Amino acid sequence: MTTAALPRVPGDRDPRVSPLRRVTGSPALRLVGKRLLMAIPIMLGVTILTFWVLSLIPGNAAQQLLGAEASPEDVAQLEEQLGLNESGVSRYLSWLGNALHGDLGNSLVSRQPVSEILADRLPVTGELVLLAFVVSLLLAIPVALLAAHKPNGLMDRISMMISTLGLSVANYVLALLLVLVFAVTLGWLPAIGYVPLSDGLWANLKTMILPSAAIGLPLFCFYTRFLRGDLVDQLQQEEYVTTARAKGVGSWQVLLRHAFRNSSFGLITVVGLNLGALIGGTVIIEQIFALPGVGQMLLQAINTRDFVVVQAAVVIFALVAVLANLVVDLMYAVLDPRIRYGSR
Amino acid sequence: MRADRTTYATGDAYVSTGMIDSRAPAEAHRTPAAPGEPLLTVEDLRVQFTRGGRRINAVNGLSYEMVPGKLMAIIGESGSGKSVSSRALMGLLPGTATITGSIRFDGRELIGLDEKELRKLRGGDIAMVFQDPARSLNPTMKIGAQISEAVRAHADLDKKGVQARAVELLRLVRLPAPERRFHEYPHQLSGGMRQRVMIAIALAGEPRLLIADEATTALDVTTQAQIMELLVELRERLGMAVIMISHDLGLAASYAEDVVVMYAGRAVEHAPVRTLFSNVRMPYTRALLGAIPALEREPHSMLPVTPGQPPDMSALPQGCPFRPRCPNATDKCLEHPPFLEHEPDHWYACWHPAGTELDTAPEVTAAVAPATAAEAAHHSTAHDQGAAQ
Repeated sequence: MTTAALPRVPGDRDPRVSPLRRVTGSPALRLVGKRLLMAIPIMLGVTILTFWVLSLIPGNAAQQLLGAEASPEDVAQLEEQLGLNESGVSRYLSWLGNALHGDLGNSLVSRQPVSEILADRLPVTGELVLLAFVVSLLLAIPVALLAAHKPNGLMDRISMMISTLGLSVANYVLALLLVLVFAVTLGWLPAIGYVPLSDGLWANLKTMILPSAAIGLPLFCFYTRFLRGDLVDQLQQEEYVTTARAKGVGSWQVLLRHAFRNSSFGLITVVGLNLGALIGGTVIIEQIFALPGVGQMLLQAINTRDFVVVQAAVVIFALVAVLANLVVDLMYAVLDPRIRYGSR
Repeated sequence: MRADRTTYATGDAYVSTGMIDSRAPAEAHRTPAAPGEPLLTVEDLRVQFTRGGRRINAVNGLSYEMVPGKLMAIIGESGSGKSVSSRALMGLLPGTATITGSIRFDGRELIGLDEKELRKLRGGDIAMVFQDPARSLNPTMKIGAQISEAVRAHADLDKKGVQARAVELLRLVRLPAPERRFHEYPHQLSGGMRQRVMIAIALAGEPRLLIADEATTALDVTTQAQIMELLVELRERLGMAVIMISHDLGLAASYAEDVVVMYAGRAVEHAPVRTLFSNVRMPYTRALLGAIPALEREPHSMLPVTPGQPPDMSALPQGCPFRPRCPNATDKCLEHPPFLEHEPDHWYACWHPAGTELDTAPEVTAAVAPATAAEAAHHSTAHDQGAAQ
């Protein structure tokens, strides 16, 4: 009458597994837990590195605030006031201690709490990145599908031409071109500035279209090329595509149900990797379009040696990168049953 | 008649879903070919691939005929064009392939059919089972969805009808617990079970010709035998013709009625299996038979090996493609030997067929007497299945 003697079929619950283990044994939950634990050393590493690099730049916040003409005594006094006279290690540790308690500190320059600054700035960058991603993906997926449906056909050639062009232009050059055409020549959209969402959706979108296009268009080109290539590979090399065709299934159905589903793994990976890099890319674009986002905040903080604010920005960027990768891994599990039911 | 067949096929477990009636009109055009009329006639089929400016002649004038209900084997080594020619039947070759010649299925020319007609043909009249079931099933789709897709492609049924039919197909190929397997993914099944699923998919459109392209090559020997038995049984139950493509002469000897031997993209010998093994004519076939390990062979003796390499398909030798490796070759072989029915039901393309007065082979090379070869082939399948090359 031992449980091991029961006939077992795959998919059945293993009676030998304890109830506790069954709850903690959910692969998705374990993945989330593991990743969040892994985020701790990543955050520590990133903040220590940033702190160290900032300390290598000549000058500190006190000098920047008082200007070049200030007397050494005034500077020393302000340094003491700001706690800059302490050693690097103790400054880092006290920052870390406060941060762990949820207090990211106050800006050295404006004395404003960092959490307040972030509350103002994060939505701007978030909207920018989100718009760029959504638009680039919404355009890239249908274009890549059309291109892959008839490789070397008209649609394929056109999309290839456009994407090659788009990929060879840096996003800040593209930004200036967009401003030149749509703001200066045509006058349709403002060249710079930001209107918050609370002042109306259209007013807000008008200020966001050009910046998000500057980020999104190269992404669109990249995703189109990537997805088109992957789809064509699937169609030509994978045996299950041949099986699907041999069933008498139509070519669009083969493309959508079989090739695209399996190509989406690659696309998700690339999008996830991009997201980390992209947040960095917003620094330049926000500067060009004078958007009050996290990127702009970071640049200003570096210029004023406002290490408290810099740290906050870096923590945010790293957190986004870690979360993006976590989401990608969870998406794999949703899309690929071999991972969902995988052992471990 | 179709209804009878289906009822019989699923035995006691058959549950009427009313789909037989709904399917009937769509299949009205499918009158079975008259007895004696060939189901499939391939004539001078040529397939050419262009890769980087180089032309590769994968199939070079393949011709054969097949009557309905036969189990025919197409045998050849890798690169002999056996797979490419069978994919040409279903229009499954990539756009880089140029196909010429004629493929008539039930009197209808298949070459030049448009995509819409090909789609009806694929999985409908002609279906295919591929070599590696691990790769030929979509890893991200449930078994049920993959079969249902095939059912839906050829029958206008509602969701319930499709599912019932899919489960019925799984039962037909003797997949254990079909209702549960329906909701599982390919990776949860064993290789043999996956190949059964592939066969179920192939049977979804009630094909009249099933092509099994190395369908048992990726399986272990026991499973291989089970799958072959299943194919033989299904052929009888469903009255369909089967082409098994294989490099395994022993396997062909134990299951096929007719054998087509391919070399360098064309048929070189075609005969009923008994005739082929008792009166082998083509020196290439003889060399293949000689290379089968047999129990009668002296222990630890070397297997006879055909010297040389299969020809480069982009630069075929003049005349008979086997000439450079053939012990019988003479100057006559520089001329292309026609593929003709030299003896009743026995086709071959050779100027110096073995065992005839035209045979020029020295006594030594004819090491394996034809009768022994046939025996050897049968023994090897019985005891040494899968080891044969």
